[in-house]
This record gives sequence, structure tokens and C-alpha cells, in this order.
Amino acid sequence: MTMFLIKKADVGKIAQELSREYEVYGPMIEKSSGQTFFDRVEDLAEINLAAPIPSNPPKAVVFPQMERILAYEYDRTKNAVKMEPDYRVVPKALVGLRPCDLAGMLCLDRFFMGQEFVDEVYLNHRKKMFIVTNTCITPFKQCFCVCTDSGPAAKEGYDLNLTDLGGEFLVEVGSEKGAALAAKLGLAPAGDPHLALKNEKVDKSIAMFEDIAVDSKAWISRVMNRVTTGFAKEEVWEYIGDQCFECGACTFVCPSCSCFNIADVSNPECAGCADRLRTWDSCSYEGYSRMAGGHNPRKPVEDRRNKRFFCKLSYSQMKKYLRPGCVGCGRCAWVCPGDIGLPNVVTYVRREITR
Amino acid sequence: MSQTLNIQNGKIVTVPEVATIEEIRDEIREVKTFYLSIDNKEIWNNFKYRSGQFIMCTIFGAGEFAVSLPPSPENDRFHITVRTVGKVTSALHALKPGDKVGLRGPFGNGFPFDEFKGKNLVYVAGGIGLIPLRSSIVHALQYKKDFGRVLVLHGARTPDDLMYKENLKEWQGFDGFETYITVDVPTPDWKGETGFVHTLFDKANLPIENTIAFVCGPPVMFNTVIGELMKRGLSDENIYSTLERHMKCGVGKCQHCAVGRTLVCTDGPVYTYRQIKTLGEEI
Ligand SMILES: Cc1cc2nc3c(=O)[nH]c(=O)nc-3n(C[C@H](O)[C@H](O)[C@H](O)COP(=O)(O)OP(=O)(O)OC[C@H]3O[C@@H](n4cnc5c(N)ncnc54)[C@H](O)[C@@H]3O)c2cc1C
Ligand code: SF4
Ligand code: SF4
Ligand code: SF4
Ligand code: FES
Repeated sequence: MTMFLIKKADVGKIAQELSREYEVYGPMIEKSSGQTFFDRVEDLAEINLAAPIPSNPPKAVVFPQMERILAYEYDRTKNAVKMEPDYRVVPKALVGLRPCDLAGMLCLDRFFMGQEFVDEVYLNHRKKMFIVTNTCITPFKQCFCVCTDSGPAAKEGYDLNLTDLGGEFLVEVGSEKGAALAAKLGLAPAGDPHLALKNEKVDKSIAMFEDIAVDSKAWISRVMNRVTTGFAKEEVWEYIGDQCFECGACTFVCPSCSCFNIADVSNPECAGCADRLRTWDSCSYEGYSRMAGGHNPRKPVEDRRNKRFFCKLSYSQMKKYLRPGCVGCGRCAWVCPGDIGLPNVVTYVRREITR
Repeated sequence: MSQTLNIQNGKIVTVPEVATIEEIRDEIREVKTFYLSIDNKEIWNNFKYRSGQFIMCTIFGAGEFAVSLPPSPENDRFHITVRTVGKVTSALHALKPGDKVGLRGPFGNGFPFDEFKGKNLVYVAGGIGLIPLRSSIVHALQYKKDFGRVLVLHGARTPDDLMYKENLKEWQGFDGFETYITVDVPTPDWKGETGFVHTLFDKANLPIENTIAFVCGPPVMFNTVIGELMKRGLSDENIYSTLERHMKCGVGKCQHCAVGRTLVCTDGPVYTYRQIKTLGEEI
């Protein structure tokens, strides 16, 4: 694998070079709240590679919270229909993506583009993209990527991967696009000692999970088995369901949740005109499975919570993502008002806690 | 705009194709049949579907809904039969011949007809449950020599609620094709059977050996009929039904139609009763 070095003071040149061709997205610390957000970057100097894991995953870049996928006009008097799908391919560069978030995006890729049908809307968002990942040399409080095989260093799917070695970053090339950019920047080559140093940093990071990543501990593999085989007790799901407020927050912050709703929003001035909007949806909502006429086969909330954890933790779902659906970012534990983030659920299922 | 991916495996995936309503027929109260054809001739000529599949139908300005395909895949006039339930279906009912709608699909698995060769086919339909079974019935009628006995048992609330009345009459005339009809509540001039649909089983001398049953109807009827079929010795893997779920995309992405560990739009809508039992959810 080709590797280079870039001085810390120069690392901003990567985003600068990319900004000539791409819309740049990256982690930035919001001054008022002190929180990190992953968003469109206006001022490249704001990209902060040392910032903690962003509060939001980069999901919205490829799967916006709300988007128009189609606009149509039906003129009944002329009996003519005009239909315009709303696909735009905008080149986007994601700079400073955390490994768990890249893994989440790979889940989305496989789900939207690798199944029986290819989702053209997603495909167009994903088409022209440049990804620069950033190794987590120290974990954050809520992380458990080591349990879900998604960190603390990215293994695949990036164009360039950065690792903080102290005074400089190791730049690993993961694609031809990445190699071309490295060549353009005229980076100094790196060698085996640098790779050894990176591996040392990664090992150290893994060792730190015990002390630093204290909010979330998840014994994933054993629980995956139980969830897949339906061996988890009904009473455990009921207990989990009891604590769910059906707010949907866990879904919206999850890098791999992909459910959406579709609605035609009509134009009051034109009876046959509408925008077809696709919006994020959550399996926690009661309306999610309700059918026309009001019949709802999944009325009890525990049935719907069961669906979420099946999505994140079953081998059957792994077949769609080619990895576990949970990437260990810990965000759901962060936001859940009911205290049933994924790590807690794993504990409940593992220990068969029912009350 | 790239159009190349809008048709995948012969299915219209994202952007609907414009279709014209050629004719509208009243079926029963709140139910109408709409005869349709896709305007783009090339796409229309390549539009192939299987019994048991469904399409997504856009009513411009109102929205989109899932609907079964009642015509046989061969030599039958293309149509959908729709009951007014809410916003979108009511908007369809307000349309006139010549008006336009949008179509996506066909989606779903369909009935595995190759596995049914040489067997008796028993169709048990309650009310508008006859809609998703019609395609398969007409197919069986067109290929009658491939099958043993073919029976249609149809129950409705009142004589006015009997679906596809003209078809039922026509089917009765076919050699070796047996139709049995009953209503829950007779009218004074009703001369036929009275009672729930499973009460026809004895009269029909229902075959059990080498038999496939198709059951479709409201949940109460479904459960009673399945119970009675199993009591008579039909195995759960030989009982087929089609499930209905809230659907948005039709192509396995929105996950609204998830049932148990499956998605009705891609793994269904046709399931055997053996599969339905493992879903662990209400019907
Ligand atoms: C596989 C399958 C086959 C079917 N076959 C048939 C058939 O052959 N014949 C038949 O009659 N029916 C059939 N159905 C049922 C049919 O799809 C429903 O009856 C139909 O969807 C009802 O739509 P509606 O808009 O009239 O009902 P509503 O109850 O008004 O709502 C349903 C839809 O309207 C939209 N909507 C309503 N309210 C809102 C809101 N507040 N915000 C945004 N959107 C909203 C949504 O898109 C929603 O999905 C089938 C269903 C399935 C899944
Ligand atoms: S389930 Fe929770 S911890 Fe796992 S990827 Fe989703 S938000 Fe992160
Ligand atoms: S079903 Fe629930 S857990 Fe699964 S992707 Fe959808 S919202 Fe997320
Ligand atoms: S964040 Fe917690 S309370 Fe809200 S829907 Fe998710 S599990 Fe339920
Ligand atoms: S209708 Fe969208 S997944 Fe089945």
C-alpha cells in the first residue's frame, strides 16, 4: 500500500485541494454549544481533525433528512403529464470521517445499492465522492467500535486515511483517486517504521477503551446470536418497549438507519401537481406500520423496538450490510431519553433483565 | 438525468410510467375496476408480470398506493380493482376514462405455479380477497389441463357484495371448473347458499390429497378457514395467501412493509401458511 506523510501544519491543504472540485464536508466545533457537527464546510479552517466524534453522523450527505425525488404536473384539461425526477450529482468530499461513520456509510451503500434493486436517488448522492478518514487514536466516552469491528482505524472504503503520529499525519492511500491527490500535493513518502508507529497508536487506542470509553460496553457477538435465533425472551423486549418514548432519536442519529417515508405534497394552486418527498422515518413510530383503514399489525411498541435491534444485531441483517448493522458509535445511547441505547439493550438481552 | 436505472429486471422502479384509464366498471359498493394501459408503447409491450404480483399506482396530486394485479399474465385485459379506503383510493375513484395515472412495478414474488402442476387447486376468497386471487384463477382456467380439480369458493356479506359477478358466471360454464358461492346475510330473492365460506367445504367435497389451497380475505375469515383446512389434513406448506402491509417503495428500501424478518414487497406478498406462522406477527 502506498503511504505518505503530511505535516500537521499542512494537513489543511488536503481539504483546500479537494474544495476545487468538491463540496467539502467535515467535523466542526460549534462555538455556542461546544458540540461537534459534521456538516458542509464554508470556511475550511474550521475543519477540526482533533474534534470529538460529531453529534450527527454523515448520513444526511448521502441520504438527506428530507428531499424531493420527483416533481410532477398533471394538466387534466390538456391530459398531459410532466414528470421530472430530481437527481443531481454533486461532487462531495468528506474530510475527517471517523471510522465508525465510514462503516455506517458502507452499510448504507450495501443496503441501497447492493440488493436486488439499486436505489437511484442514493446512487446519485454517492456517485462523485472523496472520503478522507481519520483514525481514532483515542476513543471517546460513548464508543464501542471495537465490539462491532468498525474501528478505531478504517480498513476499507476510504480514498485517503489519516493517522495522527504526533507532529505529522500518516496518509494511507485507498484508491486511485486518493493516489492522484497525494501526487498532486507532492507528499513525502512514508515507510514501514511509520506504519509500525500507526499500528502502535491503534493498539494503544484499543487498550484505552477499557478506561476511556466507559459509557458503553457491549458484548455484541453473544447477543447477536440470541437476537438472530429469536432466543431473546419476550419479557425482555417488553421491558425495553416500556422504556421507549417512540421519539425516533435513535434512528436519526444512527449512521446505518435507512428507513424512509414517501409522501406526495400537492400544490394548492394546481390540483394535479405535487412534489414527491422522501423523508427519514423510524420503526419506533406507531404510524410506521399502520395500514390504510387503521389496522396496525405492530401496535405494541415492543414489537417495533424488537425490529430495531433485529436490524442492528442479527445475522440475517448482516447479509444485507456484510457486517453488523451497529457500528458502535454510541450515539443512540447518547440521545435516548429512555436509556435504552444499544449497549443497554445488549446488556438486558444478555442478562435477561426483565424488570 | 439518468433513466437507465429506472427499469431494473423489467420493473419500473422509481419514476412512474404514465398510463391511461381506458374504461371503468362498477363492481360492488365502493369497489371499481379500472382498465389501464401504459402510454409508452415500448415499455407497455415489455410489461410482463406473474400471478400474485402487485404494482404501485400514483394518482397525480394525491399519492401512491399498492394494488394487486387481478388479470391473468396471458390474454387478459390489464386492470386493477380498487376499494375506496382513504385519500388516494378516493382520488382514483373520482377519475374518468381518459384520465392519467402513474404505474411502477410489477413487484413481489408471485405464486410459484411451476410447483402446482398436476395438483388440485382450491381458492377460498372472502369479500375483496378475490381480487388478489383472480389472476391465478384465470391462469388456472386457461391451463386447466395442467391441473386436477380447480375449485373457487367465494363468500361475501350479502349478494350485493359478491365480487366479479360476471366472471363467476363465466367460470361456472367452464368444463371441470367448480365454483361455490355463499353469503352471510341473504336478501329475499337470494336462492344460493347462506353461511360463512368454510361451510361450503363439505358440499364441495373438498380435495385434500395433492391439493394446494389459496386463502385470502379479512383476518377473521382467514383464521377460521385455515383452521378448518388444517383440521381436514391439509399441510401448512400447501396453503398460500398474500399479505398486505403499509408500502411506500415496493422495492425493499423503505422497510415499511417489514413483517417478521421479511419484507412483503420483495419476499412476499405471497407466503405459505408455514412461513406466515414463523413471522410471529398478526396477519
Ligand atoms: C400487496 C398489496 C396489494 C393490495 N391490493 C389491493 C387491491 O387489489 N385492491 C385494493 O382496493 N386495495 C389493495 N391494497 C390495499 C391498498 O393499498 C390500500 O387500501 C391503499 O393504500 C389505501 O390508500 P388510501 O390513500 O386510500 O388510504 P389512506 O388511509 O388515506 O392512507 C394511505 C396512504 O395515504 C397517504 N397518507 C395518508 N395520510 C397521510 C398524511 N397525513 N401524510 C402523508 N401521507 C398520508 C400515505 O401515503 C398512506 O400510505 C393492497 C395492498 C398491498 C400492500
Ligand atoms: S445502533 Fe446506536 S451505537 Fe449502533 S451504530 Fe446505531 S447509533 Fe451507533
Ligand atoms: S427498521 Fe428501525 S432500526 Fe432498522 S433501519 Fe429502519 S429505523 Fe433503523
Ligand atoms: S431514542 Fe430511545 S426512546 Fe427514542 S425511539 Fe429510540 S429507543 Fe425509543
Ligand atoms: S414497500 Fe418499501 S420496503 Fe417494502
